[in-house]
Amino acid sequence: MTVLFVILAYLAATVFIVGLVAKVWKYATTPAPLKIPQTPAPVTETGVPGRMLSEVAVFKSLFKSNRVLWLAAYLFHIGLLLAVIKHFRFFFAGIAAVPGLSVFTTYEMYAGPIMAIGLLFLLMLRFVVDRHAYISVMSDYFLLLLLVGIAVTGVIAKHFLRVDLVQVKTFVMGIVSFSPQAFPAEPIFIIHFSLVLLLLVYFPFSKLMHAAGLFFSPTRNQVDNPREKRLVTPWAAETPAQVEVVEEAPETI
Amino acid sequence: MANTEATATETEEEKVLTDLEKVGEPRAPRKKPNEINAEELTGQIETPKVQRDVADHKPYLCKPKSMEKLGFPSELRSDWHDAAIAKMGDLLKKYKALQVYMDICVKCGSCTDKCHYFIGTQDGNNMPVARAELFRKVYRKYFTTEGKILGKLAGAERFDLDLLGEWYSYFHQCSQCRRCSVFCPYGIDTAEISMAAREIMDHIGVGQKYTNDIIVKVHEVGNNLGMNPKALAATLESTEEDLEEETGQKIRLPLDVEGADVLMVTPSADFFASPHVESLLGYAKVMHQAGINWTFSSTASEAGNFGIFIGNYGQMQKVASRVQKAIEELRPKRLVVGECGHAWRIAYSFWNTIIGPFGSLDPNYPRPQHICEFTLDLYNRGAIKFDKSANDDRVVTMHDSCNVARGARMGDQRGGQFTIPRELIKASCNRYVDMDQDTIMEKTFCCGGGGGLLTDDLLELRVQGALPRMQALHKVRETHGVNFMACICAIDKAQFTKVMPKYGIPLSVCGGVHQLVASAIELGAKE
Amino acid sequence: MSFEFAGKTYETDDDGYLVNLDDWSQDVASYIAEMEGVDMTEAHWEVVNFLRDYYQEYNIAPAIKILIKEMKKMFGPEKGNSAYLYDLYPAGPALQACKIAGLPKPTGCV
Repeated sequence: MTVLFVILAYLAATVFIVGLVAKVWKYATTPAPLKIPQTPAPVTETGVPGRMLSEVAVFKSLFKSNRVLWLAAYLFHIGLLLAVIKHFRFFFAGIAAVPGLSVFTTYEMYAGPIMAIGLLFLLMLRFVVDRHAYISVMSDYFLLLLLVGIAVTGVIAKHFLRVDLVQVKTFVMGIVSFSPQAFPAEPIFIIHFSLVLLLLVYFPFSKLMHAAGLFFSPTRNQVDNPREKRLVTPWAAETPAQVEVVEEAPETI
Repeated sequence: MANTEATATETEEEKVLTDLEKVGEPRAPRKKPNEINAEELTGQIETPKVQRDVADHKPYLCKPKSMEKLGFPSELRSDWHDAAIAKMGDLLKKYKALQVYMDICVKCGSCTDKCHYFIGTQDGNNMPVARAELFRKVYRKYFTTEGKILGKLAGAERFDLDLLGEWYSYFHQCSQCRRCSVFCPYGIDTAEISMAAREIMDHIGVGQKYTNDIIVKVHEVGNNLGMNPKALAATLESTEEDLEEETGQKIRLPLDVEGADVLMVTPSADFFASPHVESLLGYAKVMHQAGINWTFSSTASEAGNFGIFIGNYGQMQKVASRVQKAIEELRPKRLVVGECGHAWRIAYSFWNTIIGPFGSLDPNYPRPQHICEFTLDLYNRGAIKFDKSANDDRVVTMHDSCNVARGARMGDQRGGQFTIPRELIKASCNRYVDMDQDTIMEKTFCCGGGGGLLTDDLLELRVQGALPRMQALHKVRETHGVNFMACICAIDKAQFTKVMPKYGIPLSVCGGVHQLVASAIELGAKE
Repeated sequence: MSFEFAGKTYETDDDGYLVNLDDWSQDVASYIAEMEGVDMTEAHWEVVNFLRDYYQEYNIAPAIKILIKEMKKMFGPEKGNSAYLYDLYPAGPALQACKIAGLPKPTGCV
């Protein structure tokens, strides 16, 4: 069992990291030949991080669009953030000593439930709102259910079946430090851990890439200064402007 | 025997369609203009229940001759499938926006009620995310691991003739107005996707007549209308006569004056159509009263640039390069752009990249400058004066053009594209009121005719797409007695004057910002 | 697209405008007018003839403002106004009269 999960864990981590890096590399290196910021946009370089922050931290555009949807999405993402922070302790020794982290860890017990509620809310919208139902396909439902599965099994493992966290920590730290330790073979943990590995593998190939892709969105990350600063990218600069102005109109149109 | 006969008659009766015709022909024949009816206005914009496949609008296909002139295949390539996928791969490498937007949509549904064509047609595929999905289906099938392995489960689909037909229909039901993008948590820009789709279609021999014919006209004659220099000169001369009759003053509309201070580039519709020409009179009066030495150019007699609509960088650059040539010919110090929405986006956001840098122009002024920036600046400096009471018969509102509102700016300040035209309007009339906040500025609704859809073969779609704007206008007409909607876009003016009668709104309600300026400006000796 | 008239085939665009300027004749014009539901009178011909003359000279149909002005110059104010022209050509002088005059459909941002 330990051998199997150690191999799976390394496999999943590799796929996740390599996939993510490859995608990000692609986004970063594909040229944006024209200035297409969504205006009104920041008119200085320093304004762009502010705009990004408002999207990442409070989902500003979504809030502008639809408060119900915003609430559902925000609940899930806050829950997810708390859950991720809470899992830091399995990865880093002495994490509790990090100043300020207690702000989050105080609320960590709500992480799973908040996440699950947000996800179920999102799932419900796909069934209840006809427009959302129209655009949803299998992979949309699958991802929501996968995440619900992770949240629910996490909550059960922690609060109900009380999996031995020390054993979990030993195992995870073993993976991280490349000195594998025994796998805590409790059924609920097996399910939780397997789902997380599945998520990691699926991540770079799915719409979950929005987490990284947002930062490369030209309508959001460009400065509105085209008159002041000339934008030139390689392929566009090489496109010749073949102008042939005909002085007299031709006979027929 | 009987069977064979029946089949024979059937084939005789049923026209055998070529693959290209299958792609380009709507299922039901297009309605005649007098058969098209608009919804009754209530003043409320309501999100409809989603319908399936109800808006099968398709514009006319471009004829082989024009396709060839633009360097596209004259008709559907026999290897269109492979050619389309290859072109898609090419565009994914060239445009960060396309590549990123293919991957990151989570289909949250935020955009689903934001498109005027969805609100007007109720067709599910006119929800921005569904429109983009037509593209993503193909992207997933050929460019993603997920799509290659999971196929339909992951929403991947083979690019076949039916799907190509849907592309032709629904990517010509997008006016590239970017309203959906405002509300997208990641700023996914459907305009970029529809431009790419049209670029791919052109490359396999499926072009749209209206946009492509017009680009050919620009290359051959110099402007969208096909008005040659001789006709342009005659039209300007005739307009000068009208101005003299109206004002008693010799107000000039100069053409091809070398060494003029200001080169004015405006949509050719301003020379020709109504109410566009009223704004032309406004530009001329402003120049005259401020004593500015200005000129039009017969080389650059068009501000519009339909290259953007078909997503073709080379065509856009070629059309724009006429302005570059006019600058070389006439050596002006300043470059001013008239009332045209997409033209201003291209001038403001793209010109510096595609035909810049403008080293020969005076750096003390914006290069280029919008006519509203130009006029308001003169007004604020006291170089021209307005008599607001000249517009006292009007209660004015303003329609923000999508390309100006969401793709460009005016002035130095963020949001200047909203404040500058409004300041100018308020300086020239006493009664101004904004429409509903959700329908103006960055949230403005498209007129329904932008993005290369301003053609009569799409008239039904145009009437449907105008619905949200008409509702908002109707509301302020009821509540505030608005009788003039000022626009800064030639497409707006042409579209509204065409569709407003369908909604029972008089033509005179639509006009230009410089039409108000033309009425209010005080001509004659300065103090 | 095309239509048959007096034993000859005339090529048109998708909206029924003649493709070749030289295909035009008074008879063809009358035929197109009939399809448009316009009963050609002397007054109708005045407009059509002016449009054709203008097109010969400038290779484009005149702006509506110019049409009105020139009609006024030639035939007086009662014929040089928009209402009169719309009376003659209910679908719009620019679109309908151009079609009967055998000129291409005016397109652009108009």
